[in-house]
Amino acid sequence: MLTLLKGGHVVDPANGRDGIGDVWIHDGRIADPPPGGKADATHDVSGKMVLAGAIDIHSHIAGNNETMARLLLPELRAHPGHEGPRGSWTTRETGRLYAAMGFTTVVEPAVPPHHALQAHLELADIPIIDKAALTVLGNDDFTLNLLRRRESAQALADYIGWTLATSRGLGIKVINAGGAEAFKGNVRSFALDDEVPDYGVSSRTIVKALQHGVSAIGLPHPLHVHCNNLGVPGNVDTAIATIAAAEGVAMHLAHVQFYAYGKEGARGFSSAALKLAEAVNAAKNVTVDVGQVMFGQTVTISSDVLRQFNARNSASPKKWLIHDGDANGGGIVPYDYRPTNFHNAVQWAAGLELFLLITDPWRVFFTTDHPNGAPFTAYPDILALLMDRELRAQWIARLPKEAMEVTTLPAIGREYTWAEIATMTRAAPARLLGLKDRGHLGAGAIADIAVYAPNKDRAAMFRNAALVFKDGALVVRDGKVVRETYGRTLTAAAPRDHAIERRMVDYYRDRFGLTPDFMTVAERVLGERHSFETVPCRT
Amino acid sequence: MAEAWIRGDPVALDIAAREAARLLAQSRMPVIAGLGTDVEGARAAIALARHVGGAIDHMHAAALLRDLDVMRSGGMMTTTPNEARLRGDFLLLAGPGLIEAWAELPARLLQSGKPKRIVWLCGGTDADGIGASVERIDGELPVLLACLRARCAGRLVRATPKQIEALAADLAKATFGVAVWSAAALDELSVAMLCGLVADLNAATRFSGLPLAAGDNAAAVLQVCGWSAGLPPRTGFARGSGEHDSWRFEAKRLADSGEADCAVWISALSATPPAWTRAVPTIMLAHDAALCAKAAVAIAVGRPGIDHDAVAYFPATGTLVPSLAEQAAKAISVAGALEKIAALLPAGAPC
Repeated sequence: MLTLLKGGHVVDPANGRDGIGDVWIHDGRIADPPPGGKADATHDVSGKMVLAGAIDIHSHIAGNNETMARLLLPELRAHPGHEGPRGSWTTRETGRLYAAMGFTTVVEPAVPPHHALQAHLELADIPIIDKAALTVLGNDDFTLNLLRRRESAQALADYIGWTLATSRGLGIKVINAGGAEAFKGNVRSFALDDEVPDYGVSSRTIVKALQHGVSAIGLPHPLHVHCNNLGVPGNVDTAIATIAAAEGVAMHLAHVQFYAYGKEGARGFSSAALKLAEAVNAAKNVTVDVGQVMFGQTVTISSDVLRQFNARNSASPKKWLIHDGDANGGGIVPYDYRPTNFHNAVQWAAGLELFLLITDPWRVFFTTDHPNGAPFTAYPDILALLMDRELRAQWIARLPKEAMEVTTLPAIGREYTWAEIATMTRAAPARLLGLKDRGHLGAGAIADIAVYAPNKDRAAMFRNAALVFKDGALVVRDGKVVRETYGRTLTAAAPRDHAIERRMVDYYRDRFGLTPDFMTVAERVLGERHSFETVPCRT
Repeated sequence: MAEAWIRGDPVALDIAAREAARLLAQSRMPVIAGLGTDVEGARAAIALARHVGGAIDHMHAAALLRDLDVMRSGGMMTTTPNEARLRGDFLLLAGPGLIEAWAELPARLLQSGKPKRIVWLCGGTDADGIGASVERIDGELPVLLACLRARCAGRLVRATPKQIEALAADLAKATFGVAVWSAAALDELSVAMLCGLVADLNAATRFSGLPLAAGDNAAAVLQVCGWSAGLPPRTGFARGSGEHDSWRFEAKRLADSGEADCAVWISALSATPPAWTRAVPTIMLAHDAALCAKAAVAIAVGRPGIDHDAVAYFPATGTLVPSLAEQAAKAISVAGALEKIAALLPAGAPC
């Protein structure tokens, strides 16, 4: 089957394309124009923008914490902020809403190993898009004990490999390293150089050890770090200290908007996005995603149990779930970001400042930390804000003046180009995750393609893609799902070591009185909708 | 043994599935209940309910919703069985029914792990024979919990039992205490009071809760309902998208009031019959032959994790785990049976 997308404006930064041209699809892959070839199907996309399918590197779409949030908030609509009927915040809607916007790969960034099977069951139920999971380590007894005993870097690398294989993750994330464990010991604030009670290991030690472990086994995606002190005024220093701690080795910092806070101004809360952006610009080994805040009701879902516990009294509506897990656990706190709220307005501005002040679109990623800063259904509005300073000015005019005075946003004139949007949401995430055949439109790439019809209302354009192809099949037309397929779950081909297998059996027997079989993501039970796609490690 | 029956007469599976589809197609308000099944079975049940515009309910939904109502009206702090075992230095067991909810509780929580102080409030006969290491306080649980919470908060209470007075002081000294309860045996106010007590204690120390799950894989079914319906059991799909109402969509009420004119009852794990008393044409999916004998249509289904691979809630970890069958048996799974029935339904049903 040969399909031709004819005469569109092709934006494919990975291959240096930004102009009118054709895109050919052959059996699910992008193909070179066949010599004298005749297409079996032709879509006239003249006047439209043709991009690879978008990739979201950090969106909480599956797992026990997400489902507990659904159960905590039966009153929420589809995806918070989406005008769907109640009770449609489901795995099915997740896939359909993402696809309608032209997203074709989404990473669930916080899967605790003991809950990995549930996360994969949910991922398997999300239609159309491809999925992946990041496995969470760094608050678990095994890692902390390895570090306390100063065991070899190889032992930690073997354990990372074992955990990835057991939980079928694509990469490793650390969430407030040691903070959840410290909270169990009644610690109420936890910084980079604080030590976890009983283990005598600092947060910095955990982050650095995991960072090097991930690098040692050749995982394409660097350690994905959720820093300490999320949401705390003045925490820009924590983020900058963590960047410095990376010491030139690759590291990804998640949802940095939540760390872009200073203590300036009459209220002791200000945007420090400029300072953070400068630090990111200077550290070429570091990538970040933003975690943009948008106004409206949402729910915060995080494995940073300590932070969520401290935030429980700001819950709106007033209810919350705090779970001390076997390692990280989770906290669910509903929250309503209000445009009249000084702090929320500063947060909104700080996120946009980061997008606009970080100069390299290959190193800043497009997220809201769904649903923590905003539901992913708010993406189209954010893209519109990035591309249009007039639109930003209209929003700024409606927000508290004193909030805008502690940010630099009103002075920023930059507007994202299509090439920068395509880099940030397509080419760069594919590179960051090690997905060579995604995020671009070169021959051999998977034919995940989004076509947008330019419109004065850019948000409407991004919300309802004109056409979306997944693996070469047309799945969305004019924002409506026309075909519901099932994608694949991407998983790293982590190296497996037999000695660690035996050691883990002994460990689980001694500590839990169980075999580790309970945490194995057994492919036999994932159902017919499910399939894995393996992503190789660097050799 | 036969694999399917119509009004007690053995028939081929396909014939039974066709009759089930006929009953569902002509039904104005079907209810799919019991839901004693694995994850795939629950998923298929929800899909079928959407297809026919019916309601879903679990046989232990009352207990599930008791915990859920406390959580979704005010909040909750919880932990895992392993944290309770390894970190807990104080266990506050509340009410009866704990051993019934989790037979391994004494072995996993009381007799192993970190040495801990154990106090059992109103344990009833459950608390007998556990051993001398458990301190017992008997009385009326709602009253004791109310006194305890008030005293922990430093409020004056008239006639606080002496043991409660001492307990309030001791709870504050726990470094990681865990309250354990089974909602199947408690009223909602007691669950709310206990969860409130736990939350209050965290102002100064660490305390958490360990709600024990109801049987018949209820905790797993709750999760599946959460992610695939967006709502817990007692949800109806008659108007397209799900509507959750714990009174309106209770299977027993729907059946006994006559609102439901057809039922699917699923009990693949235990041999539990429906609780309703009115005769409702019922499509029975059960492993137990006696349950199958009287139904309008019955299909003998395999046991999840024994006759076929499955995913089940595991009380020892509080997570969903693979439950792999040693050897696949011939009996069809709940999911298989429901999908067979769904495939025979006319297209263009309510949604």
